[in-house]
Amino acid sequence: MKFTLHIWRQANRTAPGRMETHAIDGITGDMSFLEMIDLLNEKLLREGKEAIAFDHDCREGICGSCSMMIDGQAHGPERGAATCQLHMRSFADGADIIVEPWRVGAFPVIRDLSVDRGAFDRIIQSGGYVSVNTGGTPDGNALPVPKPHQERAMDAAECIGCGACAAACPNASAMLFVSAKVGHLGALPQGQAERSERAKNMVAAHDREGFGHCTFYGECEAACPKSISTEYITQLNSDYLASAAKAVVKG
Amino acid sequence: MSTAAINPKGPRVYPAGQSPRAWADTYLASTVGQKILVGTTGLLLVGFLIGHMVGNLKMFSSPESINKYAYFLKHDLGALIWVARGGLLALFVTHLVLALRLRLAARAARPVPYRVMKTAQATLQAKTMLWTGVVILAFTVYHLLHFTLGLVHPASAAAPDDYLTQRVNLQQAERNLSPGSAVNYLDLKDDAGRHDVYAMVVAGFRTPYISAIYLVCQVLLLVHLSHGIQSSLQTLGLVGKRFTPAAVALGWAVAGTIFVGNVAIVAAVWAGYVK
Ligand code: HEM
Ligand code: FES
Repeated sequence: MKFTLHIWRQANRTAPGRMETHAIDGITGDMSFLEMIDLLNEKLLREGKEAIAFDHDCREGICGSCSMMIDGQAHGPERGAATCQLHMRSFADGADIIVEPWRVGAFPVIRDLSVDRGAFDRIIQSGGYVSVNTGGTPDGNALPVPKPHQERAMDAAECIGCGACAAACPNASAMLFVSAKVGHLGALPQGQAERSERAKNMVAAHDREGFGHCTFYGECEAACPKSISTEYITQLNSDYLASAAKAVVKG
Repeated sequence: MSTAAINPKGPRVYPAGQSPRAWADTYLASTVGQKILVGTTGLLLVGFLIGHMVGNLKMFSSPESINKYAYFLKHDLGALIWVARGGLLALFVTHLVLALRLRLAARAARPVPYRVMKTAQATLQAKTMLWTGVVILAFTVYHLLHFTLGLVHPASAAAPDDYLTQRVNLQQAERNLSPGSAVNYLDLKDDAGRHDVYAMVVAGFRTPYISAIYLVCQVLLLVHLSHGIQSSLQTLGLVGKRFTPAAVALGWAVAGTIFVGNVAIVAAVWAGYVK
Protein backbone atom coordinates (compact mmCIF):
# COMPACT_ATOMS: atom_id res chain seq x y z
CA MET A 1 0.00 0.00 0.00
CA LYS A 2 0.98 3.63 -0.55
CA PHE A 3 0.09 6.66 1.46
CA THR A 4 0.66 10.39 1.46
CA LEU A 5 1.28 11.52 5.02
CA HIS A 6 0.83 15.09 6.18
CA ILE A 7 2.65 15.24 9.49
CA TRP A 8 3.07 18.04 12.02
CA ARG A 9 6.70 19.06 12.54
CA GLN A 10 7.77 21.28 15.39
CA ALA A 11 11.35 21.62 16.55
CA ASN A 12 10.66 22.35 20.21
CA ARG A 13 8.08 23.69 22.63
CA THR A 14 8.28 27.25 21.45
CA ALA A 15 9.12 26.94 17.76
CA PRO A 16 6.25 27.47 15.35
CA GLY A 17 5.24 24.20 13.72
CA ARG A 18 4.12 23.33 10.20
CA MET A 19 2.68 20.43 8.26
CA GLU A 20 5.14 18.39 6.19
CA THR A 21 4.17 16.00 3.41
CA HIS A 22 5.83 12.63 2.83
CA ALA A 23 4.99 9.85 0.39
CA ILE A 24 5.48 6.31 1.58
CA ASP A 25 5.29 3.05 -0.30
CA GLY A 26 5.65 -0.64 0.48
CA ILE A 27 3.25 -0.69 3.43
CA THR A 28 1.24 -3.85 4.11
CA GLY A 29 -2.20 -3.89 5.67
CA ASP A 30 -0.90 -5.84 8.65
CA MET A 31 1.56 -3.15 9.68
CA SER A 32 0.60 -0.91 12.55
CA PHE A 33 0.48 2.84 12.16
CA LEU A 34 3.65 3.16 14.21
CA GLU A 35 5.48 0.63 12.03
CA MET A 36 4.64 2.76 9.04
CA ILE A 37 6.13 5.80 10.77
CA ASP A 38 9.22 3.68 11.62
CA LEU A 39 9.66 2.95 7.93
CA LEU A 40 9.21 6.60 7.08
CA ASN A 41 11.80 7.56 9.71
CA GLU A 42 14.31 5.06 8.32
CA LYS A 43 13.81 6.59 4.92
CA LEU A 44 14.23 10.10 6.31
CA LEU A 45 17.44 9.08 8.09
CA ARG A 46 18.82 7.51 4.92
CA GLU A 47 18.15 10.80 3.18
CA GLY A 48 20.01 12.58 5.95
CA LYS A 49 16.88 14.25 7.32
CA GLU A 50 15.58 14.57 10.84
CA ALA A 51 13.38 11.66 11.96
CA ILE A 52 9.85 12.39 13.17
CA ALA A 53 9.67 12.36 16.96
CA PHE A 54 6.76 10.40 18.41
CA ASP A 55 6.07 8.66 21.69
CA HIS A 56 5.75 4.90 21.90
CA ASP A 57 6.77 2.19 24.28
CA CYS A 58 4.78 -1.03 24.66
CA ARG A 59 3.27 -1.14 21.17
CA GLU A 60 0.51 -3.33 22.51
CA GLY A 61 -1.97 -0.81 23.78
CA ILE A 62 -1.07 -0.77 27.46
CA CYS A 63 1.36 2.07 28.08
CA GLY A 64 -0.66 4.91 26.58
CA SER A 65 2.28 6.78 25.06
CA CYS A 66 1.45 6.62 21.35
CA SER A 67 -0.52 9.85 21.15
CA MET A 68 -1.49 10.83 17.61
CA MET A 69 -4.45 12.60 16.12
CA ILE A 70 -4.96 10.75 12.85
CA ASP A 71 -7.29 12.24 10.25
CA GLY A 72 -8.98 14.26 12.95
CA GLN A 73 -9.56 11.31 15.28
CA ALA A 74 -7.56 10.49 18.39
CA HIS A 75 -5.76 7.16 17.79
CA GLY A 76 -7.30 7.04 14.32
CA PRO A 77 -10.49 5.56 12.97
CA GLU A 78 -10.50 2.24 14.81
CA ARG A 79 -12.57 2.11 18.02
CA GLY A 80 -11.10 0.74 21.20
CA ALA A 81 -7.55 0.76 19.86
CA ALA A 82 -4.45 2.85 20.51
CA THR A 83 -2.35 4.10 17.59
CA CYS A 84 0.04 1.19 18.04
CA GLN A 85 -2.89 -1.21 17.55
CA LEU A 86 -4.21 0.56 14.49
CA HIS A 87 -3.62 -1.46 11.34
CA MET A 88 -2.92 0.14 8.01
CA ARG A 89 -5.73 -1.95 6.51
CA SER A 90 -8.06 0.52 8.20
CA PHE A 91 -7.08 3.01 5.49
CA ALA A 92 -7.78 2.97 1.75
CA ASP A 93 -4.71 2.37 -0.39
CA GLY A 94 -3.35 5.69 -1.67
CA ALA A 95 -5.10 7.70 1.02
CA ASP A 96 -3.91 11.06 2.33
CA ILE A 97 -3.49 10.85 6.09
CA ILE A 98 -3.16 13.84 8.38
CA VAL A 99 -1.19 13.29 11.58
CA GLU A 100 -1.13 15.86 14.36
CA PRO A 101 -0.08 15.85 18.00
CA TRP A 102 -2.69 16.11 20.78
CA ARG A 103 -3.81 19.72 20.73
CA VAL A 104 -4.60 20.57 24.31
CA GLY A 105 -3.12 23.56 26.10
CA ALA A 106 -2.31 21.39 29.10
CA PHE A 107 -0.26 19.02 26.87
CA PRO A 108 2.47 21.20 25.38
CA VAL A 109 4.16 19.82 22.28
CA ILE A 110 7.72 18.75 23.06
CA ARG A 111 8.69 17.96 19.52
CA ASP A 112 6.75 16.90 16.39
CA LEU A 113 4.10 14.44 17.58
CA SER A 114 5.40 14.08 21.10
CA VAL A 115 3.54 15.95 23.86
CA ASP A 116 4.12 16.43 27.57
CA ARG A 117 1.35 14.65 29.46
CA GLY A 118 2.76 15.61 32.86
CA ALA A 119 -0.57 17.28 33.64
CA PHE A 120 -2.04 13.79 34.11
CA ASP A 121 0.69 12.86 36.58
CA ARG A 122 -0.11 15.95 38.62
CA ILE A 123 -3.81 15.08 38.59
CA ILE A 124 -2.97 11.58 39.86
CA GLN A 125 -0.76 13.06 42.57
CA SER A 126 -3.72 15.11 43.78
CA GLY A 127 -5.83 12.06 44.66
CA GLY A 128 -5.46 9.07 42.37
CA TYR A 129 -4.25 6.78 45.15
CA VAL A 130 -5.33 5.08 48.36
CA SER A 131 -3.37 5.60 51.57
CA VAL A 132 -2.66 2.23 53.16
CA ASN A 133 -0.04 0.94 55.54
CA THR A 134 2.18 -1.49 53.74
CA GLY A 135 3.43 -4.63 55.43
CA GLY A 136 3.06 -8.31 54.85
CA THR A 137 0.87 -9.60 52.06
CA PRO A 138 -2.74 -9.21 53.21
CA ASP A 139 -4.92 -12.27 53.38
CA GLY A 140 -6.64 -12.66 50.04
CA ASN A 141 -10.12 -12.91 51.48
CA ALA A 142 -9.76 -10.43 54.32
CA LEU A 143 -11.51 -7.72 52.36
CA PRO A 144 -14.45 -9.09 50.37
CA VAL A 145 -15.21 -7.19 47.15
CA PRO A 146 -18.52 -7.95 45.45
CA LYS A 147 -18.10 -9.08 41.85
CA PRO A 148 -20.04 -6.16 40.28
CA HIS A 149 -17.91 -3.66 42.23
CA GLN A 150 -14.75 -5.39 41.20
CA GLU A 151 -15.85 -5.32 37.56
CA ARG A 152 -16.77 -1.69 37.77
CA ALA A 153 -13.36 -0.92 39.24
CA MET A 154 -11.53 -2.96 36.61
CA ASP A 155 -13.42 -1.36 33.72
CA ALA A 156 -12.24 2.04 34.94
CA ALA A 157 -8.76 0.79 35.84
CA GLU A 158 -8.24 -0.04 32.18
CA CYS A 159 -7.45 3.66 31.63
CA ILE A 160 -3.89 3.94 30.35
CA GLY A 161 -3.70 7.72 30.72
CA CYS A 162 -3.01 8.28 27.04
CA GLY A 163 -4.83 11.63 26.90
CA ALA A 164 -7.06 10.74 23.94
CA CYS A 165 -10.14 11.85 25.91
CA ALA A 166 -8.84 15.39 26.24
CA ALA A 167 -7.44 15.35 22.71
CA ALA A 168 -10.79 14.31 21.20
CA CYS A 169 -13.00 16.48 23.40
CA PRO A 170 -14.27 19.63 21.66
CA ASN A 171 -13.85 21.34 25.07
CA ALA A 172 -10.41 19.78 25.67
CA SER A 173 -11.76 18.29 28.89
CA ALA A 174 -9.95 15.44 30.62
CA MET A 175 -12.99 14.56 32.70
CA LEU A 176 -13.05 10.98 31.42
CA PHE A 177 -9.53 10.46 32.74
CA VAL A 178 -10.36 11.99 36.13
CA SER A 179 -13.58 10.02 36.34
CA ALA A 180 -11.86 6.74 35.47
CA LYS A 181 -9.48 7.18 38.40
CA VAL A 182 -12.21 8.34 40.78
CA GLY A 183 -14.52 5.57 39.55
CA HIS A 184 -11.86 2.90 39.85
CA LEU A 185 -10.90 3.66 43.45
CA GLY A 186 -14.43 4.65 44.46
CA ALA A 187 -15.76 1.22 43.51
CA LEU A 188 -13.47 -0.57 45.95
CA PRO A 189 -13.57 -0.72 49.75
CA GLN A 190 -9.96 0.53 49.97
CA GLY A 191 -10.98 3.72 48.19
CA GLN A 192 -13.83 4.75 50.48
CA ALA A 193 -11.88 6.65 53.17
CA GLU A 194 -10.58 9.25 50.75
CA ARG A 195 -13.52 9.18 48.35
CA SER A 196 -14.93 12.62 48.89
CA GLU A 197 -11.57 14.39 49.17
CA ARG A 198 -10.45 12.58 46.03
CA ALA A 199 -13.34 13.86 43.92
CA LYS A 200 -12.77 17.40 45.15
CA ASN A 201 -8.99 17.41 44.78
CA MET A 202 -8.78 15.68 41.43
CA VAL A 203 -11.36 18.00 39.87
CA ALA A 204 -9.46 20.99 41.29
CA ALA A 205 -6.19 19.64 39.85
CA HIS A 206 -7.89 19.03 36.50
CA ASP A 207 -9.06 22.65 36.40
CA ARG A 208 -5.66 23.99 37.49
CA GLU A 209 -4.06 22.31 34.51
CA GLY A 210 -6.41 24.28 32.26
CA PHE A 211 -8.58 21.52 30.79
CA GLY A 212 -12.15 22.40 29.76
CA HIS A 213 -15.49 21.23 31.13
CA CYS A 214 -17.65 18.24 30.20
CA THR A 215 -20.72 18.74 27.98
CA PHE A 216 -21.44 15.04 27.42
CA TYR A 217 -20.58 15.13 23.75
CA GLY A 218 -19.38 11.55 24.18
CA GLU A 219 -16.30 12.09 22.00
CA CYS A 220 -13.94 10.90 24.76
CA GLU A 221 -15.72 7.58 25.05
CA ALA A 222 -15.47 7.07 21.29
CA ALA A 223 -11.76 7.95 21.23
CA CYS A 224 -10.76 5.99 24.34
CA PRO A 225 -8.58 3.00 23.37
CA LYS A 226 -10.09 1.21 26.36
CA SER A 227 -13.66 2.27 25.55
CA ILE A 228 -14.21 3.69 29.03
CA SER A 229 -17.78 4.90 29.36
CA THR A 230 -18.91 8.44 30.17
CA GLU A 231 -20.94 6.75 32.88
CA TYR A 232 -17.88 7.27 35.07
CA ILE A 233 -18.22 11.02 34.57
CA THR A 234 -21.78 10.79 35.86
CA GLN A 235 -20.43 8.89 38.85
CA LEU A 236 -17.68 11.48 39.38
CA ASN A 237 -20.28 14.25 39.40
CA SER A 238 -22.38 12.49 41.98
CA ASP A 239 -19.28 11.90 44.13
CA TYR A 240 -18.52 15.58 43.70
CA LEU A 241 -22.00 16.60 44.84
CA ALA A 242 -21.72 14.25 47.81
CA SER A 243 -18.35 15.77 48.64
CA ALA A 244 -19.79 19.29 48.50
CA ALA A 245 -22.70 18.27 50.74
CA LYS A 246 -20.36 16.60 53.19
CA ALA A 247 -18.20 19.72 53.33
CA VAL A 248 -21.27 21.77 54.23
CA VAL A 249 -22.40 19.40 56.93
CA LYS A 250 -19.04 18.57 58.46
CA GLY A 251 -17.27 21.85 57.75
CA MET B 1 -15.46 20.91 64.90
CA SER B 2 -13.83 23.42 62.67
CA THR B 3 -16.83 25.73 62.32
CA ALA B 4 -17.31 26.10 66.07
CA ALA B 5 -17.55 29.68 67.25
CA ILE B 6 -14.40 30.85 68.95
CA ASN B 7 -16.18 33.65 70.80
CA PRO B 8 -19.66 32.37 71.64
CA LYS B 9 -21.04 35.90 71.72
CA GLY B 10 -19.29 37.15 68.62
CA PRO B 11 -19.76 36.28 64.97
CA ARG B 12 -18.96 32.78 63.84
CA VAL B 13 -15.29 32.50 62.95
CA TYR B 14 -14.23 30.07 60.30
CA PRO B 15 -10.70 28.72 60.12
CA ALA B 16 -8.92 29.56 56.87
CA GLY B 17 -10.12 27.48 53.97
CA GLN B 18 -13.39 26.48 55.60
CA SER B 19 -15.56 29.54 55.27
CA PRO B 20 -18.69 29.42 53.13
CA ARG B 21 -16.77 31.60 50.70
CA ALA B 22 -13.98 29.03 50.46
CA TRP B 23 -16.59 26.31 49.98
CA ALA B 24 -18.17 28.20 47.11
CA ASP B 25 -14.79 28.94 45.55
CA THR B 26 -13.89 25.27 45.67
CA TYR B 27 -17.11 23.58 44.72
CA LEU B 28 -19.10 26.11 42.72
CA ALA B 29 -16.26 27.69 40.78
CA SER B 30 -14.81 24.43 39.46
CA THR B 31 -15.72 23.22 35.97
CA VAL B 32 -17.90 20.51 37.48
CA GLY B 33 -19.55 22.95 39.93
CA GLN B 34 -20.26 25.52 37.23
CA LYS B 35 -21.64 22.84 34.96
CA ILE B 36 -23.89 21.57 37.73
CA LEU B 37 -25.22 25.12 38.12
CA VAL B 38 -25.79 25.42 34.37
CA GLY B 39 -27.67 22.11 34.45
CA THR B 40 -29.74 22.94 37.53
CA THR B 41 -30.72 26.41 36.33
CA GLY B 42 -31.47 24.90 32.90
CA LEU B 43 -33.80 22.31 34.42
CA LEU B 44 -35.53 24.95 36.55
CA LEU B 45 -36.05 27.04 33.42
CA VAL B 46 -37.51 23.95 31.75
CA GLY B 47 -39.91 23.74 34.70
CA PHE B 48 -40.93 27.33 34.04
CA LEU B 49 -41.37 26.64 30.34
CA ILE B 50 -43.71 23.74 31.08
CA GLY B 51 -45.83 25.90 33.37
CA HIS B 52 -45.81 28.73 30.86
CA MET B 53 -46.83 26.43 28.02
CA VAL B 54 -49.68 24.89 30.02
CA GLY B 55 -50.92 28.39 30.92
CA ASN B 56 -50.75 29.38 27.25
CA LEU B 57 -53.04 26.49 26.36
CA LYS B 58 -55.87 28.45 27.95
CA MET B 59 -55.98 30.13 24.53
CA PHE B 60 -57.89 27.04 23.44
CA SER B 61 -60.46 27.39 26.14
CA SER B 62 -61.91 30.91 25.88
CA PRO B 63 -60.87 34.57 25.91
CA GLU B 64 -62.37 34.70 29.38
CA SER B 65 -60.18 31.89 30.61
CA ILE B 66 -56.80 33.24 29.48
CA ASN B 67 -57.64 36.83 30.36
CA LYS B 68 -58.60 35.85 33.87
CA TYR B 69 -55.43 33.82 34.22
CA ALA B 70 -53.29 36.71 33.00
CA TYR B 71 -55.11 39.06 35.35
CA PHE B 72 -54.41 36.71 38.20
CA LEU B 73 -50.69 36.62 37.39
CA LYS B 74 -50.36 40.36 36.94
CA HIS B 75 -52.65 41.74 39.64
CA ASP B 76 -53.76 39.14 42.15
CA LEU B 77 -50.28 37.90 42.87
CA GLY B 78 -49.25 41.35 43.99
CA ALA B 79 -45.59 41.61 44.86
CA LEU B 80 -45.15 37.90 44.30
CA ILE B 81 -45.05 38.46 40.57
CA TRP B 82 -41.90 40.49 41.11
CA VAL B 83 -40.42 37.70 43.20
CA ALA B 84 -41.17 35.27 40.39
CA ARG B 85 -39.78 37.62 37.75
CA GLY B 86 -36.65 38.24 39.79
CA GLY B 87 -36.15 34.52 40.29
CA LEU B 88 -36.55 33.80 36.61
CA LEU B 89 -34.14 36.55 35.69
CA ALA B 90 -31.60 35.21 38.17
CA LEU B 91 -31.92 31.68 36.76
CA PHE B 92 -31.63 32.92 33.22
CA VAL B 93 -28.63 35.13 33.90
CA THR B 94 -26.84 32.47 35.96
CA HIS B 95 -27.44 29.91 33.24
CA LEU B 96 -26.13 31.92 30.38
CA VAL B 97 -23.27 33.64 32.18
CA LEU B 98 -21.88 30.34 33.47
CA ALA B 99 -22.48 28.56 30.17
CA LEU B 100 -20.62 31.30 28.32
CA ARG B 101 -17.80 31.32 30.89
CA LEU B 102 -17.35 27.58 30.54
CA ARG B 103 -17.32 27.88 26.77
CA LEU B 104 -14.70 30.61 26.86
CA ALA B 105 -12.54 28.55 29.20
CA ALA B 106 -12.97 25.52 26.94
CA ARG B 107 -11.86 27.57 23.98
CA ALA B 108 -8.77 28.67 25.89
CA ALA B 109 -8.08 25.03 26.77
CA ARG B 110 -7.16 24.37 23.13
CA PRO B 111 -5.06 27.32 22.06
CA VAL B 112 -3.81 25.70 18.85
CA PRO B 113 -6.68 24.22 16.83
CA TYR B 114 -6.50 20.99 14.86
CA ARG B 115 -6.16 21.15 11.09
CA VAL B 116 -8.83 18.46 10.93
CA MET B 117 -11.04 17.35 13.74
CA LYS B 118 -13.81 14.83 13.20
CA THR B 119 -16.44 13.99 15.72
CA ALA B 120 -17.45 10.38 16.18
CA GLN B 121 -20.69 10.54 18.10
CA ALA B 122 -21.37 14.09 19.28
CA THR B 123 -24.87 15.07 18.22
CA LEU B 124 -25.67 18.18 16.24
CA GLN B 125 -27.79 19.38 19.17
CA ALA B 126 -24.80 19.15 21.52
CA LYS B 127 -22.51 20.93 19.11
CA THR B 128 -24.92 23.82 18.60
CA MET B 129 -25.83 24.49 22.27
CA LEU B 130 -24.11 27.85 22.25
CA TRP B 131 -25.83 29.09 19.09
CA THR B 132 -29.28 27.79 19.92
CA GLY B 133 -28.79 29.40 23.36
CA VAL B 134 -27.87 32.77 21.84
CA VAL B 135 -30.98 32.68 19.64
CA ILE B 136 -33.13 31.78 22.67
CA LEU B 137 -31.71 34.81 24.46
CA ALA B 138 -32.53 37.08 21.53
CA PHE B 139 -35.96 35.51 21.24
CA THR B 140 -36.68 36.01 24.93
CA VAL B 141 -35.94 39.72 24.59
CA TYR B 142 -38.13 39.90 21.49
CA HIS B 143 -40.94 38.00 23.18
CA LEU B 144 -40.94 40.42 26.11
CA LEU B 145 -40.89 43.44 23.81
CA HIS B 146 -43.72 41.89 21.84
CA PHE B 147 -46.24 40.68 24.41
CA THR B 148 -45.16 42.14 27.73
CA LEU B 149 -44.29 45.64 26.58
CA GLY B 150 -46.35 45.78 23.37
CA LEU B 151 -43.62 47.59 21.48
CA VAL B 152 -43.23 45.43 18.41
CA HIS B 153 -46.41 45.74 16.50
CA PRO B 154 -49.96 47.13 17.05
CA ALA B 155 -53.24 45.27 16.73
CA SER B 156 -55.44 46.16 13.82
CA ALA B 157 -58.84 44.97 12.74
CA ALA B 158 -58.92 42.19 10.20
CA ALA B 159 -61.87 40.08 9.14
CA PRO B 160 -65.17 41.82 9.90
CA ASP B 161 -67.00 40.74 12.99
CA ASP B 162 -64.46 38.43 14.54
CA TYR B 163 -63.41 38.79 18.15
CA LEU B 164 -60.24 40.72 17.52
CA THR B 165 -62.00 43.18 15.19
CA GLN B 166 -64.65 43.83 17.81
CA ARG B 167 -62.01 44.55 20.42
CA VAL B 168 -60.08 46.86 18.13
CA ASN B 169 -63.23 48.70 17.07
CA LEU B 170 -64.23 49.13 20.68
CA GLN B 171 -60.96 50.83 21.48
CA GLN B 172 -61.17 53.00 18.38
CA ALA B 173 -64.59 54.20 19.50
CA GLU B 174 -63.48 54.72 23.06
CA ARG B 175 -60.45 56.72 22.09
CA ASN B 176 -62.02 58.57 19.17
CA LEU B 177 -59.53 57.09 16.77
CA SER B 178 -60.27 57.08 13.08
CA PRO B 179 -61.63 53.73 11.90
CA GLY B 180 -58.88 51.48 10.59
CA SER B 181 -56.22 52.85 12.88
CA ALA B 182 -54.22 50.43 14.95
CA VAL B 183 -54.42 49.91 18.70
CA ASN B 184 -51.58 49.08 21.08
CA TYR B 185 -51.65 45.51 22.39
CA LEU B 186 -51.80 46.66 25.96
CA ASP B 187 -54.88 48.83 25.34
CA LEU B 188 -57.06 45.92 24.25
CA LYS B 189 -59.69 45.31 26.92
CA ASP B 190 -62.26 42.57 27.32
CA ASP B 191 -65.83 43.04 28.57
CA ALA B 192 -64.74 42.78 32.18
CA GLY B 193 -62.26 45.59 31.60
CA ARG B 194 -59.25 43.29 31.89
CA HIS B 195 -56.32 43.40 29.51
CA ASP B 196 -57.41 41.26 26.56
CA VAL B 197 -54.56 38.83 26.22
CA TYR B 198 -56.59 36.63 23.92
CA ALA B 199 -57.08 39.34 21.31
CA MET B 200 -53.43 40.35 21.65
CA VAL B 201 -52.18 36.84 20.91
CA VAL B 202 -54.50 36.48 17.94
CA ALA B 203 -53.31 39.85 16.62
CA GLY B 204 -49.69 38.75 17.10
CA PHE B 205 -49.86 35.42 15.36
CA ARG B 206 -52.00 36.63 12.48
CA THR B 207 -48.91 38.49 11.35
CA PRO B 208 -46.92 36.07 9.19
CA TYR B 209 -43.41 37.29 10.02
CA ILE B 210 -44.10 37.19 13.74
CA SER B 211 -45.45 33.65 13.53
CA ALA B 212 -42.40 32.65 11.54
CA ILE B 213 -40.06 34.05 14.20
CA TYR B 214 -41.92 32.17 16.91
CA LEU B 215 -41.90 28.91 14.97
CA VAL B 216 -38.19 29.05 14.18
CA CYS B 217 -37.30 29.91 17.76
CA GLN B 218 -39.44 27.10 19.10
CA VAL B 219 -37.56 24.68 16.84
CA LEU B 220 -34.26 25.98 18.21
CA LEU B 221 -35.55 25.69 21.77
CA LEU B 222 -36.48 22.08 21.01
CA VAL B 223 -32.95 21.46 19.77
CA HIS B 224 -31.37 23.15 22.83
CA LEU B 225 -33.48 21.15 25.24
CA SER B 226 -33.17 17.82 23.45
CA HIS B 227 -29.50 17.83 24.47
CA GLY B 228 -29.86 20.01 27.55
CA ILE B 229 -32.30 17.90 29.51
CA GLN B 230 -30.50 14.60 29.13
CA SER B 231 -27.09 16.21 29.58
CA SER B 232 -28.13 17.89 32.82
CA LEU B 233 -29.46 14.62 34.19
CA GLN B 234 -25.99 13.19 33.55
CA THR B 235 -24.28 16.31 34.90
CA LEU B 236 -26.24 15.93 38.12
CA GLY B 237 -25.11 12.34 38.38
CA LEU B 238 -28.65 11.03 38.16
CA VAL B 239 -28.40 8.59 35.26
CA GLY B 240 -25.77 5.99 34.52
CA LYS B 241 -25.19 4.00 31.36
CA ARG B 242 -28.35 1.95 31.71
CA PHE B 243 -30.67 4.91 32.05
CA THR B 244 -28.98 7.30 29.63
CA PRO B 245 -31.24 6.19 26.74
CA ALA B 246 -34.22 6.79 29.02
CA ALA B 247 -32.87 10.27 29.85
CA VAL B 248 -32.46 11.00 26.14
CA ALA B 249 -36.04 9.87 25.52
CA LEU B 250 -37.28 11.94 28.45
CA GLY B 251 -35.41 14.95 27.08
CA TRP B 252 -37.10 14.63 23.72
CA ALA B 253 -40.47 13.99 25.32
CA VAL B 254 -40.34 17.05 27.58
CA ALA B 255 -38.82 19.30 24.92
CA GLY B 256 -41.31 17.93 22.39
CA THR B 257 -44.26 18.61 24.68
CA ILE B 258 -43.17 22.22 25.19
CA PHE B 259 -42.69 22.55 21.44
CA VAL B 260 -46.06 21.04 20.48
CA GLY B 261 -47.98 23.01 23.10
CA ASN B 262 -46.52 26.37 22.07
CA VAL B 263 -46.57 25.75 18.35
CA ALA B 264 -50.18 24.55 18.53
CA ILE B 265 -51.25 28.08 19.48
CA VAL B 266 -49.42 29.69 16.58
CA ALA B 267 -50.76 27.06 14.20
CA ALA B 268 -54.32 27.36 15.54
CA VAL B 269 -54.34 31.13 15.02
CA TRP B 270 -53.03 30.64 11.54
CA ALA B 271 -55.53 27.96 10.69
CA GLY B 272 -58.30 30.23 11.98
CA TYR B 273 -59.22 27.74 14.68
CA VAL B 274 -58.42 30.26 17.39
CA LYS B 275 -59.94 33.58 16.34
C1 HEM C 1 -35.42 29.14 28.37
C2 HEM C 1 -34.17 29.19 28.31
C3 HEM C 1 -33.18 28.07 28.47
C4 HEM C 1 -33.31 26.80 28.94
C5 HEM C 1 -34.57 26.15 29.44
C6 HEM C 1 -32.01 26.16 28.86
C7 HEM C 1 -31.74 24.87 29.25
C8 HEM C 1 -30.48 24.30 29.23
C9 HEM C 1 -30.14 23.03 29.79
C10 HEM C 1 -31.09 22.09 30.51
C11 HEM C 1 -28.81 22.83 29.56
C12 HEM C 1 -28.01 21.61 29.91
C13 HEM C 1 -27.03 21.82 31.00
C14 HEM C 1 -26.17 20.59 31.16
O1 HEM C 1 -25.74 20.03 30.15
O2 HEM C 1 -25.94 20.18 32.28
C15 HEM C 1 -28.31 23.95 28.84
C16 HEM C 1 -27.00 24.09 28.42
C17 HEM C 1 -26.53 25.20 27.78
N1 HEM C 1 -27.22 26.39 27.59
FE1 HEM C 1 -29.16 26.70 27.96
N2 HEM C 1 -31.11 27.06 28.34
C18 HEM C 1 -31.78 28.23 28.10
C19 HEM C 1 -31.26 29.40 27.62
C20 HEM C 1 -29.96 29.57 27.25
C21 HEM C 1 -29.39 30.81 26.81
C22 HEM C 1 -30.13 32.12 26.70
C23 HEM C 1 -28.09 30.54 26.52
C24 HEM C 1 -26.99 31.43 26.01
C25 HEM C 1 -27.01 32.61 25.62
C26 HEM C 1 -27.85 29.16 26.78
C27 HEM C 1 -26.63 28.54 26.58
C28 HEM C 1 -26.37 27.25 26.93
C29 HEM C 1 -25.12 26.60 26.67
C30 HEM C 1 -23.91 27.21 25.96
C31 HEM C 1 -25.22 25.32 27.22
C32 HEM C 1 -24.17 24.24 27.19
C33 HEM C 1 -23.21 24.39 28.32
C34 HEM C 1 -22.07 23.46 28.10
O3 HEM C 1 -22.16 22.32 28.53
O4 HEM C 1 -21.09 23.85 27.48
N3 HEM C 1 -28.99 28.59 27.23
N4 HEM C 1 -29.35 24.85 28.66
S1 FES D 1 2.72 2.31 22.40
FE1 FES D 1 1.94 1.68 24.34
S2 FES D 1 -0.15 2.06 24.06
FE2 FES D 1 0.59 2.43 22.08
